[in-house]
Amino acid sequence: MKRVVVTGLGAVSGFGWGVEALRAGLGSGETAVRAPRRLAVDGHRTGLASEVPEDSESARFVPDTALSRADRYALFAAREAIGRAGLCEPSPIPRSRMGVFFGGCTAGMAEAEEFFARLIGAAAGRPRLRSLMSHQLDGPGNAVARDLGVEGPVETVSSACASGGLAIQAAFESIRRGEVDFAVAGGADVLCQLTYAGFNALRAVDSGPSRPFRRERAGLSLGEGAGAVVLESAESARARGATVLAVVVGAGASCDAHHMTAPQPEGVGAAAAVVAALEESDLDPGAVSLVNAHGTGTPLNDSSEANALRAALGGSREGSVEAPVTSSKGAIGHLLGSAGAIEAVATVLAIADRTLQPTAGGGPADPELGVDVVIGSPRPLPAQGPLVGLSTSFAFGGSNVAVLIGSPDGGESADGGEE
Amino acid sequence: MADQETTDAGIRERIKAVIIESLGLEGMTPEMIEDDAPLFGDGLGLDSVDALELMVVLEKDFGVQIDNQEIDPEAFASVASLERFIRELQGRD
Repeated sequence: MKRVVVTGLGAVSGFGWGVEALRAGLGSGETAVRAPRRLAVDGHRTGLASEVPEDSESARFVPDTALSRADRYALFAAREAIGRAGLCEPSPIPRSRMGVFFGGCTAGMAEAEEFFARLIGAAAGRPRLRSLMSHQLDGPGNAVARDLGVEGPVETVSSACASGGLAIQAAFESIRRGEVDFAVAGGADVLCQLTYAGFNALRAVDSGPSRPFRRERAGLSLGEGAGAVVLESAESARARGATVLAVVVGAGASCDAHHMTAPQPEGVGAAAAVVAALEESDLDPGAVSLVNAHGTGTPLNDSSEANALRAALGGSREGSVEAPVTSSKGAIGHLLGSAGAIEAVATVLAIADRTLQPTAGGGPADPELGVDVVIGSPRPLPAQGPLVGLSTSFAFGGSNVAVLIGSPDGGESADGGEE
Repeated sequence: MADQETTDAGIRERIKAVIIESLGLEGMTPEMIEDDAPLFGDGLGLDSVDALELMVVLEKDFGVQIDNQEIDPEAFASVASLERFIRELQGRD
């Protein structure tokens, strides 16, 4: 099996366009969840969301106004990741050896909503057929593939909030088994009425900015944006002299088979995904040095997830988890199908910076959870030695995925190199 | 009855305005579109989605029914051909 490395990162979030905006925002401990400017939020339990700011820089990178916003987020993140990976033109890697693996839940939903609002006279202006062009869920991934000229596999995963993590897993497996040498893996989602009203109707939203892993947590905050990573076989990265940012060492997936929306309370399925990722990596649970949790801030998710982490990393429900835990969702909201993608980016940043970002949100941590939640200021990680980050995503329908990402200097078992 | 709306030139102006407005061609004015210039490909650069969009809007604006089974693609070649096509459809009523 081939070794899979991370050579590029890209992101669009409520903090702005680009990885550096995400890095600074997550590191600050502040939240990008606030009153949105585009999204209509009247009549819901919350009036907040983490909305991507419009600016001229984004227009410069993604000039095609016929694309949906989700497509543009995807394209920006993918181009940034490829640029950071240092892939020059003409590409030294054959297009047939490249793939795109994307996840998402909304694609062009915001534009489709606008189309129908105009069609029934609820909004001004002509309904434009072109605004339906990215309605299909594979819109963002396909936009990336067209842009890059990819001739290998182009796949879109839509398993609710696990989509982004599952897309990374799919890219990882594709490179490992030698199907492609280079893949853009990620996800993009846009704030829209369907998801905003849906989570409101489920009473799953906090009226204020979400407070993951806090005692007073009361629900999630929605967000939008995109995350993308360039995954590459180690020999491909070496051949073109690319800088290795991190190594993907394992990924695992499972299903709760429990409920349409609620997680299994003991976190059995979630733990199984983490255990599967550990088994694939040949790492001991104690090797995990940081956790970027799903951490939505709903009462049910965070307790179920803490149970899962204690079971998978601590050996039992009563076990203890030494690795510090963070959730990016207090800061950038829940990006649904692209959450796992942008949180993988955050995990690589934590490894690269050897610092785990704090979990934005007010109030003290919930002591009942039994995990070490990073709150307030960033947590320094050991300055020396290999680091291993665990990124988890859990979805409606009980779909769970866990991705293990190690530092370039290791994060693998002794025989975890090329086999 | 030869008011601005029903002369050949009047209809062409309306078609140009509809193209610009319905396809969101920002920064363009009717004067910038020549009557015989190709709308698709190398000309104005419209594509098949624009054609569909244009068809829907023309039906509404000119009160005509376009049967997409019997459209001659040449009808959408230019503003002048569209004008003849619409006139032909209006003549059927």
